[in-house]
Amino acid sequence: MLRKYKVIAAAAVIALGLTGLAGCSSSDDAAAGGGTIAIITVDPANPYWKAEVDTAVATAAELGYETTVNAHGNDPAKQTQFIDAAISAGVKAIILDPAGADESVGAVQKATDAGIPVFLVNAEISAQGVAKAQIVSNNAQGATLGAQTWVEAMGGKGEYVELFGNPTDNNAKVRADAYHAVIDQIPGFKLLQKETANWDRAQGKAKMELMLQAHPNLKGVIAGNDEMALGAIEALRAAGKLDKVKVLGFDGNDDAVAAVIAGEMVATVLQPIVDGTKAAVNQAHAFLTDGTMPASEKQAIDCILITKENAGGLKGFVLS
Amino acid sequence: MNLNPLKRGESSATPAKFDRRAFIVEIRALIALAIIVIFFSLLSDKFLQYSNLVLMTRHVAMNAILAIGMLLVILNGGIDLSVGSIVGLSGVVAGYLMQGAPVPFTGHVAYPNIWAVLVISLIVGIFFGWLNGLLVAKLNIAPFIATLGMLYVARGFAKLITNGETFTKLAGEPTLGNTGFLTTFAAQPLGIPLPIWVMIAFAIVFSIILNRTAFGRWLYASGGNPRAAALTGVPVTKVNIRIYVLSGFCAAAVGVLFTADLHAAIPNMGEFSELNAIAAVVIGGTALSGGRGTVRGTLIGAFVIGFLVDGLVLIGVSVFWQETIKGAVIIVAVAVEEIQRILERRQKLKSAS
Repeated sequence: MLRKYKVIAAAAVIALGLTGLAGCSSSDDAAAGGGTIAIITVDPANPYWKAEVDTAVATAAELGYETTVNAHGNDPAKQTQFIDAAISAGVKAIILDPAGADESVGAVQKATDAGIPVFLVNAEISAQGVAKAQIVSNNAQGATLGAQTWVEAMGGKGEYVELFGNPTDNNAKVRADAYHAVIDQIPGFKLLQKETANWDRAQGKAKMELMLQAHPNLKGVIAGNDEMALGAIEALRAAGKLDKVKVLGFDGNDDAVAAVIAGEMVATVLQPIVDGTKAAVNQAHAFLTDGTMPASEKQAIDCILITKENAGGLKGFVLS
Repeated sequence: MNLNPLKRGESSATPAKFDRRAFIVEIRALIALAIIVIFFSLLSDKFLQYSNLVLMTRHVAMNAILAIGMLLVILNGGIDLSVGSIVGLSGVVAGYLMQGAPVPFTGHVAYPNIWAVLVISLIVGIFFGWLNGLLVAKLNIAPFIATLGMLYVARGFAKLITNGETFTKLAGEPTLGNTGFLTTFAAQPLGIPLPIWVMIAFAIVFSIILNRTAFGRWLYASGGNPRAAALTGVPVTKVNIRIYVLSGFCAAAVGVLFTADLHAAIPNMGEFSELNAIAAVVIGGTALSGGRGTVRGTLIGAFVIGFLVDGLVLIGVSVFWQETIKGAVIIVAVAVEEIQRILERRQKLKSAS
């Protein structure tokens, strides 16, 4: 048993070493008067949010702040706990990726009432004047770009299926609406079936396999994010139909970029999460330094279309 | 119930009354499966196509393998909520080893061949199952709590190992001698995907374990009445640890198969699959209180759930209805059994008076 334990222990040590143990902070390199910034994200096991966390931690460290990192997994109750903990820890500012537009208003209000400025990244809340800034990527604009490229690749017509994100997540609807705003006005397209795969690759594959059974001659797939699109690609690969079906993704994660380069995915849309997070931390720093308010509370950063031409320069959600 | 567990080679026949009840429950699950098959084949001409049946059975197989492990635990009156997380962890460990594992303190990177990868991944699952067993059998922690804790621990480790990445370089390289992960574990011998073969193999092996070995008789005895079983000499603690080890082993096997199937190791893999496994076991006529249940029934239960879920997608029912209907079928399947038991009891009381 000792040997088995060693395998696990070794794995754990390596993994801990790699993560740098989120939550702990190194006080040595923090500049004088910096203080702590609390970073509350969704789920760092997902590359997208990992990029968000890494950027926030790195940017804050450059500006001389210590950081704490927590993940609420889209659970508003957990989010409230982390906000409470940040308030009692007396952090200087909170960078928050909120768990739901309506559900998060109260938690943000709580922190604001306690005199702690909150800067939102990636998603909005349904109230204004509570957070100092709400920096989101322009999902509708990005989805429109993606849909236009996909329509072109399809040759302006064809039967297709849709993989929808988590139905309770507003971004799923925003992206789908923008896709359909482009596609539905072209008479040659026909939506055969729409299934949710909850942003998940395994579910995307399982749903795609079944839709391939139901509609063997489908020609295209639009997916609300890259993970579902990558699942669909695996299903298509196994069915030997990868070259006959055009797949559209969204997010710009590294696996999707590889798929775009390989010609398996028509296009994906890069969410500028790194730029947005940097902006949030910088605006927090400006506010803490001399009370400078962000130019506007709601800030939308445009998404960037990723196709074969520019995919090579994209890594870790940064386009060089 | 067999209270004479120490004699090996004894006939495994149990009293006729028990056989009859198990038989009736299994027949009912079979009828449910038949209804599902007829219903969907009427609504979609694709449902009974060979390729679709193979596909759905492959989906079923993953759940069925988990459910067989779960069956052992539930037969003993326990529950294992950690299997979904162990699927994720073992899959991630396999993916991690395929990328090349840095050996601590040496600066070298090890690229184990695929059989070593398989064995290590399975050992990880066995180890976590063994921990479950220790917590439940030695420390007397309620199985629900012990395995709930392990659900988080194992998932946490999976996320720590991946550090937010998805492992996709699973093909290996000829120069490193670690090729074949995908071709072997996502193979299709005789045109049938490997998970289906594994399901068949596990079903046969575990049927034999349950029906033809001392361990099987111990398990049924200790699940039916642990105190009586202990008094007749059944090593109750040993049995209790072993079932969690086997459940962890089944989960780890699914983890490897899942990773090969998806061409990626994802830390969230297998989330909530413990619930599907429990549902399959219960629909298959296994009593949650322990002591009663069969591999055959569990397999039928897995097919009921899998064919139902896939059938609903195939005919294009909205996702919200898919979940609602799945839940309702689980409840109805168990409720019918309980209602029948109540009726039987009333009848007995009547005839007694």
